[in-house]
Amino acid sequence: MNHHHRKIEEASDYCGVPREMILLFIKREWISPLDQETPILDEEDVARVLLIWELRQNFGVNDEAIPIILNLIDQINLMHLELKKFRIH
Amino acid sequence: MIDPYQVLGLSKNADQEDIKKSYRKLAKKYHPDLNPGNKEAEKKFKDVSHAFDMIGTSEARAKYDRGETDEQQQQQYKDFMKRGQRPSYYDTQHEGGRYSYSFGEDFGGEDFFENLFGRSRGHHMDFPGEDIHYKMEIDFIQAALGSEKVITLRDGKNLKVKIPAGIESGKKLRFKGLGSPGAGRGVPGDAYIEIVVRPLEGFIRRGQDIETELPISFIEAITGGEVEAPTIDGTVLLTIPPGVSSGTKLRIKGKGAGEGEKRGNQIVVLKIVMPRVIDPSLRAAAENLKGQFNYNPRMNS
Repeated sequence: MNHHHRKIEEASDYCGVPREMILLFIKREWISPLDQETPILDEEDVARVLLIWELRQNFGVNDEAIPIILNLIDQINLMHLELKKFRIH
Repeated sequence: MIDPYQVLGLSKNADQEDIKKSYRKLAKKYHPDLNPGNKEAEKKFKDVSHAFDMIGTSEARAKYDRGETDEQQQQQYKDFMKRGQRPSYYDTQHEGGRYSYSFGEDFGGEDFFENLFGRSRGHHMDFPGEDIHYKMEIDFIQAALGSEKVITLRDGKNLKVKIPAGIESGKKLRFKGLGSPGAGRGVPGDAYIEIVVRPLEGFIRRGQDIETELPISFIEAITGGEVEAPTIDGTVLLTIPPGVSSGTKLRIKGKGAGEGEKRGNQIVVLKIVMPRVIDPSLRAAAENLKGQFNYNPRMNS
Protein backbone atom coordinates (compact mmCIF):
# COMPACT_ATOMS: atom_id res chain seq x y z
CA MET A 1 0.00 0.00 0.00
CA ASN A 2 1.46 3.33 -1.03
CA HIS A 3 0.40 6.43 0.88
CA HIS A 4 2.95 8.87 -0.52
CA HIS A 5 4.44 10.26 2.64
CA ARG A 6 7.13 12.81 1.95
CA LYS A 7 9.69 14.74 3.95
CA ILE A 8 9.60 18.54 3.53
CA GLU A 9 12.34 18.57 0.87
CA GLU A 10 10.67 15.79 -1.09
CA ALA A 11 7.27 17.47 -0.86
CA SER A 12 8.87 20.72 -2.04
CA ASP A 13 10.44 18.98 -5.07
CA TYR A 14 7.16 17.23 -5.80
CA CYS A 15 4.81 20.18 -5.71
CA GLY A 16 7.17 23.03 -6.56
CA VAL A 17 6.43 25.02 -3.38
CA PRO A 18 9.63 26.28 -1.69
CA ARG A 19 10.70 24.44 1.45
CA GLU A 20 10.70 27.67 3.51
CA MET A 21 7.09 28.29 2.55
CA ILE A 22 6.02 24.80 3.63
CA LEU A 23 7.79 25.34 6.97
CA LEU A 24 5.98 28.66 7.35
CA PHE A 25 2.62 27.00 6.65
CA ILE A 26 3.39 24.41 9.33
CA LYS A 27 4.51 27.09 11.80
CA ARG A 28 1.22 28.93 11.28
CA GLU A 29 -0.61 25.62 11.77
CA TRP A 30 -2.31 25.81 8.40
CA ILE A 31 -0.69 22.45 7.79
CA SER A 32 -0.62 19.90 10.60
CA PRO A 33 1.60 16.97 9.64
CA LEU A 34 0.74 13.74 11.39
CA ASP A 35 4.35 13.20 12.31
CA GLN A 36 5.46 16.43 13.97
CA GLU A 37 9.06 15.44 14.66
CA THR A 38 10.36 14.56 11.20
CA PRO A 39 7.93 16.08 9.85
CA ILE A 40 6.37 13.99 7.09
CA LEU A 41 3.64 15.24 4.79
CA ASP A 42 0.97 12.93 3.41
CA GLU A 43 -1.15 13.45 0.30
CA GLU A 44 -3.68 15.59 2.18
CA ASP A 45 -0.94 17.87 3.48
CA VAL A 46 0.66 18.27 0.05
CA ALA A 47 -2.68 19.08 -1.61
CA ARG A 48 -3.36 21.62 1.15
CA VAL A 49 0.12 23.16 0.72
CA LEU A 50 -0.62 23.61 -3.00
CA LEU A 51 -4.01 25.14 -2.26
CA ILE A 52 -2.49 27.67 0.18
CA TRP A 53 0.32 28.42 -2.28
CA GLU A 54 -2.17 29.07 -5.06
CA LEU A 55 -4.33 31.26 -2.82
CA ARG A 56 -1.32 33.39 -1.80
CA GLN A 57 0.60 33.51 -5.06
CA ASN A 58 -2.06 33.52 -7.70
CA PHE A 59 -5.17 34.91 -6.10
CA GLY A 60 -3.57 37.57 -3.96
CA VAL A 61 -5.14 36.28 -0.72
CA ASN A 62 -3.42 37.79 2.31
CA ASP A 63 -2.22 35.76 5.28
CA GLU A 64 -5.00 36.90 7.59
CA ALA A 65 -7.61 35.50 5.22
CA ILE A 66 -5.92 32.14 4.60
CA PRO A 67 -7.12 30.38 7.80
CA ILE A 68 -10.66 31.69 7.24
CA ILE A 69 -10.73 30.35 3.69
CA LEU A 70 -9.25 27.02 4.77
CA ASN A 71 -11.82 26.76 7.53
CA LEU A 72 -14.63 27.46 5.05
CA ILE A 73 -13.33 24.96 2.51
CA ASP A 74 -12.98 22.28 5.20
CA GLN A 75 -16.51 22.90 6.40
CA ILE A 76 -17.89 22.82 2.85
CA ASN A 77 -16.04 19.57 2.13
CA LEU A 78 -17.52 18.08 5.28
CA MET A 79 -20.94 19.35 4.29
CA HIS A 80 -20.56 17.62 0.91
CA LEU A 81 -19.68 14.41 2.71
CA GLU A 82 -22.62 14.70 5.08
CA LEU A 83 -25.02 15.41 2.21
CA LYS A 84 -23.68 12.42 0.32
CA LYS A 85 -24.40 10.19 3.34
CA PHE A 86 -27.82 11.72 3.60
CA ARG A 87 -28.57 10.87 -0.06
CA ILE A 88 -27.49 7.26 0.44
CA HIS A 89 -29.72 6.70 3.47
CA MET B 1 1.92 22.15 -26.94
CA ILE B 2 -1.01 24.44 -26.19
CA ASP B 3 -1.29 28.06 -27.34
CA PRO B 4 -1.12 29.95 -24.05
CA TYR B 5 -2.62 33.14 -25.52
CA GLN B 6 -5.62 31.23 -26.80
CA VAL B 7 -6.09 29.39 -23.50
CA LEU B 8 -6.03 32.68 -21.59
CA GLY B 9 -8.31 34.34 -24.16
CA LEU B 10 -5.79 37.03 -25.07
CA SER B 11 -4.15 38.46 -28.17
CA LYS B 12 -0.38 38.37 -28.62
CA ASN B 13 -0.28 42.10 -27.90
CA ALA B 14 -1.64 41.70 -24.36
CA ASP B 15 0.59 43.19 -21.66
CA GLN B 16 1.86 41.28 -18.61
CA GLU B 17 -0.81 42.78 -16.40
CA ASP B 18 -3.57 41.52 -18.76
CA ILE B 19 -2.01 38.06 -18.69
CA LYS B 20 -2.00 38.06 -14.91
CA LYS B 21 -5.56 39.32 -14.68
CA SER B 22 -6.87 36.81 -17.18
CA TYR B 23 -5.00 33.99 -15.48
CA ARG B 24 -6.38 34.90 -12.06
CA LYS B 25 -9.89 35.18 -13.42
CA LEU B 26 -9.80 31.81 -15.17
CA ALA B 27 -7.91 30.07 -12.37
CA LYS B 28 -10.57 31.20 -9.91
CA LYS B 29 -13.31 30.05 -12.25
CA TYR B 30 -11.86 26.58 -12.83
CA HIS B 31 -10.03 25.90 -9.55
CA PRO B 32 -10.67 22.23 -8.57
CA ASP B 33 -11.62 23.23 -5.04
CA LEU B 34 -14.27 25.57 -6.31
CA ASN B 35 -15.55 22.94 -8.76
CA PRO B 36 -15.40 19.76 -6.71
CA GLY B 37 -15.65 16.61 -8.80
CA ASN B 38 -15.82 18.52 -12.10
CA LYS B 39 -13.21 16.87 -14.33
CA GLU B 40 -13.74 19.33 -17.18
CA ALA B 41 -12.98 22.26 -14.86
CA GLU B 42 -9.93 20.43 -13.54
CA LYS B 43 -8.57 20.00 -17.05
CA LYS B 44 -9.19 23.64 -17.87
CA PHE B 45 -7.47 24.66 -14.63
CA LYS B 46 -4.41 22.63 -15.65
CA ASP B 47 -4.38 24.21 -19.10
CA VAL B 48 -4.72 27.71 -17.64
CA SER B 49 -1.94 27.05 -15.09
CA HIS B 50 0.33 25.68 -17.79
CA ALA B 51 -0.41 28.60 -20.09
CA PHE B 52 0.53 30.98 -17.27
CA ASP B 53 3.77 29.04 -16.68
CA MET B 54 4.59 29.62 -20.34
CA ILE B 55 3.93 33.37 -20.58
CA GLY B 56 3.32 34.53 -17.01
CA THR B 57 6.70 36.26 -16.72
CA SER B 58 8.29 38.50 -19.34
CA GLU B 59 11.34 36.16 -19.56
CA ALA B 60 9.24 33.03 -20.09
CA ARG B 61 7.03 34.89 -22.53
CA ALA B 62 9.97 36.21 -24.57
CA LYS B 63 11.28 32.66 -24.92
CA TYR B 64 7.89 31.37 -25.97
CA ASP B 65 7.42 34.20 -28.48
CA ARG B 66 10.84 33.43 -30.00
CA GLY B 67 9.68 29.84 -30.42
CA GLU B 68 12.37 28.50 -28.09
CA THR B 69 11.80 25.16 -26.45
CA ASP B 70 14.95 24.78 -24.44
CA GLU B 71 15.64 22.18 -21.78
CA GLN B 72 14.47 24.47 -19.02
CA GLN B 73 11.14 24.98 -20.73
CA GLN B 74 10.75 21.26 -21.24
CA GLN B 75 11.59 20.71 -17.59
CA GLN B 76 8.97 23.29 -16.64
CA TYR B 77 6.48 21.38 -18.71
CA LYS B 78 7.42 18.10 -17.05
CA ASP B 79 7.16 19.77 -13.65
CA PHE B 80 3.77 21.03 -14.63
CA MET B 81 2.63 17.59 -15.73
CA LYS B 82 3.87 16.22 -12.45
CA ARG B 83 1.84 18.84 -10.59
CA GLY B 84 -1.07 18.06 -12.86
CA GLN B 85 -1.16 14.52 -11.53
CA ARG B 86 -1.56 15.58 -7.94
CA PRO B 87 -5.01 15.28 -6.44
CA SER B 88 -6.90 18.45 -5.70
CA TYR B 89 -7.43 19.26 -2.05
CA TYR B 90 -11.09 18.36 -2.51
CA ASP B 91 -10.07 14.89 -3.76
CA THR B 92 -8.21 14.26 -0.51
CA GLN B 93 -11.11 15.43 1.65
CA HIS B 94 -14.37 14.45 0.02
CA GLU B 95 -14.34 10.95 1.46
CA GLY B 96 -13.44 12.10 4.94
CA GLY B 97 -10.02 13.73 5.11
CA ARG B 98 -8.58 14.53 8.50
CA TYR B 99 -8.67 18.32 7.98
CA SER B 100 -12.41 18.35 7.22
CA TYR B 101 -12.87 15.66 9.82
CA SER B 102 -11.64 17.94 12.57
CA PHE B 103 -15.10 19.50 12.56
CA GLY B 104 -16.42 16.01 13.25
CA GLU B 105 -19.90 15.48 14.51
CA ASP B 106 -20.08 18.99 15.91
CA PHE B 107 -21.00 19.98 12.42
CA GLY B 108 -24.48 21.32 12.04
CA GLY B 109 -26.34 24.24 10.52
CA GLU B 110 -26.10 26.38 13.61
CA ASP B 111 -22.48 25.57 14.31
CA PHE B 112 -21.59 26.27 10.73
CA PHE B 113 -22.39 29.96 11.06
CA GLU B 114 -21.13 30.15 14.59
CA ASN B 115 -17.81 28.76 13.46
CA LEU B 116 -17.67 31.30 10.70
CA PHE B 117 -18.60 34.44 12.50
CA GLY B 118 -17.77 33.57 16.06
CA ARG B 119 -20.18 32.40 18.70
CA SER B 120 -22.90 34.85 19.39
CA ARG B 121 -24.08 33.44 22.68
CA GLY B 122 -22.21 34.68 25.70
CA HIS B 123 -19.34 32.55 26.97
CA HIS B 124 -17.46 34.26 29.71
CA MET B 125 -14.74 31.68 30.14
CA ASP B 126 -12.67 30.59 27.18
CA PHE B 127 -10.26 27.70 27.74
CA PRO B 128 -8.47 25.57 25.21
CA GLY B 129 -9.36 21.88 25.26
CA GLU B 130 -6.91 19.28 26.52
CA ASP B 131 -4.86 17.01 24.31
CA ILE B 132 -5.89 13.36 24.40
CA HIS B 133 -3.33 10.59 24.04
CA TYR B 134 -4.07 7.22 22.48
CA LYS B 135 -2.03 4.14 21.72
CA MET B 136 -2.44 2.14 18.55
CA GLU B 137 -0.92 -1.30 18.10
CA ILE B 138 0.06 -2.25 14.59
CA ASP B 139 1.76 -5.26 13.04
CA PHE B 140 5.43 -5.23 12.17
CA ILE B 141 4.64 -5.46 8.45
CA GLN B 142 2.00 -2.70 8.62
CA ALA B 143 4.63 -0.46 10.23
CA ALA B 144 7.22 -1.33 7.63
CA LEU B 145 5.05 -0.97 4.54
CA GLY B 146 2.42 1.53 5.68
CA SER B 147 -1.22 0.87 6.33
CA GLU B 148 -4.58 2.33 7.11
CA LYS B 149 -6.36 1.66 10.41
CA VAL B 150 -9.41 2.96 12.13
CA ILE B 151 -9.29 4.04 15.76
CA THR B 152 -12.31 4.91 17.89
CA LEU B 153 -11.75 8.16 19.74
CA ARG B 154 -12.96 8.85 23.25
CA ASP B 155 -16.06 10.65 21.96
CA GLY B 156 -17.05 7.63 19.86
CA LYS B 157 -15.92 8.99 16.51
CA ASN B 158 -14.08 6.63 14.21
CA LEU B 159 -10.90 8.13 12.83
CA LYS B 160 -9.12 6.72 9.78
CA VAL B 161 -5.37 6.82 10.39
CA LYS B 162 -3.00 6.55 7.46
CA ILE B 163 0.16 5.04 8.84
CA PRO B 164 3.29 6.15 6.99
CA ALA B 165 5.50 3.32 5.70
CA GLY B 166 8.61 2.91 7.84
CA ILE B 167 7.10 4.29 11.04
CA GLU B 168 8.86 3.25 14.22
CA SER B 169 7.46 2.21 17.58
CA GLY B 170 6.92 5.16 19.89
CA LYS B 171 6.23 7.65 17.12
CA LYS B 172 3.30 9.96 17.87
CA LEU B 173 0.89 11.12 15.20
CA ARG B 174 -0.93 14.35 15.87
CA PHE B 175 -4.52 15.08 14.82
CA LYS B 176 -5.17 18.73 15.26
CA GLY B 177 -8.43 19.65 16.96
CA LEU B 178 -9.48 16.09 17.76
CA GLY B 179 -8.76 16.29 21.49
CA SER B 180 -11.16 17.58 24.15
CA PRO B 181 -13.38 20.48 23.11
CA GLY B 182 -12.45 23.89 24.45
CA ALA B 183 -14.65 25.89 26.77
CA GLY B 184 -16.35 28.93 25.30
CA ARG B 185 -14.30 30.09 22.35
CA GLY B 186 -11.32 28.01 23.43
CA VAL B 187 -9.82 25.91 20.65
CA PRO B 188 -10.10 22.13 20.99
CA GLY B 189 -7.05 20.14 22.02
CA ASP B 190 -5.24 17.70 19.76
CA ALA B 191 -5.34 13.92 19.62
CA TYR B 192 -1.97 12.18 19.73
CA ILE B 193 -1.78 8.58 18.63
CA GLU B 194 1.31 6.72 19.76
CA ILE B 195 2.27 3.86 17.50
CA VAL B 196 3.20 0.59 19.15
CA VAL B 197 4.69 -1.91 16.72
CA ARG B 198 4.07 -5.56 17.56
CA PRO B 199 7.29 -7.56 17.15
CA LEU B 200 7.55 -10.21 14.44
CA GLU B 201 9.59 -13.23 15.37
CA GLY B 202 12.88 -13.38 13.49
CA PHE B 203 12.66 -9.78 12.17
CA ILE B 204 14.29 -6.79 13.84
CA ARG B 205 13.96 -3.19 12.68
CA ARG B 206 17.21 -1.22 12.39
CA GLY B 207 15.98 2.16 11.22
CA GLN B 208 14.68 1.60 7.70
CA ASP B 209 16.59 -1.71 7.43
CA ILE B 210 15.31 -5.04 8.69
CA GLU B 211 17.71 -7.55 10.19
CA THR B 212 17.15 -11.29 10.14
CA GLU B 213 19.24 -14.29 11.07
CA LEU B 214 19.62 -17.13 8.59
CA PRO B 215 20.88 -20.53 9.68
CA ILE B 216 23.06 -22.34 7.11
CA SER B 217 24.92 -25.66 7.22
CA PHE B 218 28.71 -25.72 7.46
CA ILE B 219 28.73 -27.32 4.01
CA GLU B 220 26.73 -24.40 2.56
CA ALA B 221 29.20 -22.09 4.32
CA ILE B 222 32.10 -23.76 2.52
CA THR B 223 30.59 -24.30 -0.91
CA GLY B 224 28.14 -21.41 -1.09
CA GLY B 225 24.82 -21.84 -2.87
CA GLU B 226 21.30 -20.60 -3.08
CA VAL B 227 19.23 -20.64 0.09
CA GLU B 228 15.65 -19.60 0.75
CA ALA B 229 15.45 -16.53 2.99
CA PRO B 230 12.21 -15.15 4.49
CA THR B 231 11.46 -11.45 3.93
CA ILE B 232 8.38 -9.41 4.79
CA ASP B 233 7.33 -9.79 1.14
CA GLY B 234 7.68 -13.59 1.21
CA THR B 235 10.55 -15.96 0.60
CA VAL B 236 13.41 -15.06 -1.77
CA LEU B 237 16.39 -17.06 -3.03
CA LEU B 238 19.57 -15.69 -1.52
CA THR B 239 22.98 -16.47 -3.03
CA ILE B 240 25.52 -17.38 -0.37
CA PRO B 241 29.11 -16.91 -1.55
CA PRO B 242 31.56 -19.71 -0.67
CA GLY B 243 33.61 -19.33 2.52
CA VAL B 244 31.24 -17.33 4.74
CA SER B 245 31.35 -17.36 8.54
CA SER B 246 28.75 -17.00 11.26
CA GLY B 247 28.02 -13.30 11.52
CA THR B 248 28.63 -12.58 7.83
CA LYS B 249 26.07 -10.03 6.70
CA LEU B 250 24.41 -10.18 3.29
CA ARG B 251 22.15 -7.46 1.94
CA ILE B 252 18.84 -7.99 0.16
CA LYS B 253 18.12 -4.68 -1.55
CA GLY B 254 14.71 -3.03 -1.11
CA LYS B 255 13.23 -5.52 1.36
CA GLY B 256 13.36 -3.21 4.36
CA ALA B 257 10.87 -0.63 5.64
CA GLY B 258 9.60 2.39 3.73
CA GLU B 259 8.05 2.88 0.33
CA GLY B 260 9.25 3.08 -3.24
CA GLU B 261 12.82 4.19 -3.74
CA LYS B 262 13.14 5.09 -0.08
CA ARG B 263 12.63 1.53 1.06
CA GLY B 264 15.43 0.16 3.23
CA ASN B 265 17.23 -3.15 2.84
CA GLN B 266 17.12 -6.46 4.61
CA ILE B 267 20.35 -7.41 6.33
CA VAL B 268 20.72 -11.17 6.61
CA VAL B 269 23.12 -12.31 9.30
CA LEU B 270 24.36 -15.82 8.62
CA LYS B 271 24.62 -18.38 11.38
CA ILE B 272 26.45 -21.62 10.72
CA VAL B 273 24.63 -24.48 12.40
CA MET B 274 26.21 -27.90 12.87
CA PRO B 275 24.15 -31.07 12.52
CA ARG B 276 22.51 -32.10 15.81
CA VAL B 277 24.18 -35.49 15.68
CA ILE B 278 27.67 -35.90 14.21
CA ASP B 279 27.66 -39.09 12.23
CA PRO B 280 30.86 -41.15 12.77
CA SER B 281 31.57 -41.11 9.04
CA LEU B 282 31.31 -37.30 9.00
CA ARG B 283 33.71 -37.11 11.89
CA ALA B 284 36.11 -39.50 10.11
CA ALA B 285 35.90 -37.38 6.97
CA ALA B 286 36.65 -34.24 9.00
CA GLU B 287 39.65 -35.98 10.62
CA ASN B 288 40.96 -36.76 7.13
CA LEU B 289 40.48 -33.17 5.99
CA LYS B 290 42.15 -31.79 9.10
CA GLY B 291 45.57 -32.86 7.98
CA GLN B 292 45.05 -31.48 4.52
CA PHE B 293 43.19 -28.18 5.11
CA ASN B 294 43.75 -27.22 8.73
CA TYR B 295 43.84 -23.52 9.66
CA ASN B 296 43.76 -21.45 12.83
CA PRO B 297 40.64 -19.19 12.88
CA ARG B 298 41.94 -17.42 16.03
CA MET B 299 44.87 -15.88 14.17
CA ASN B 300 44.53 -12.84 11.99
CA SER B 301 45.65 -13.66 8.51
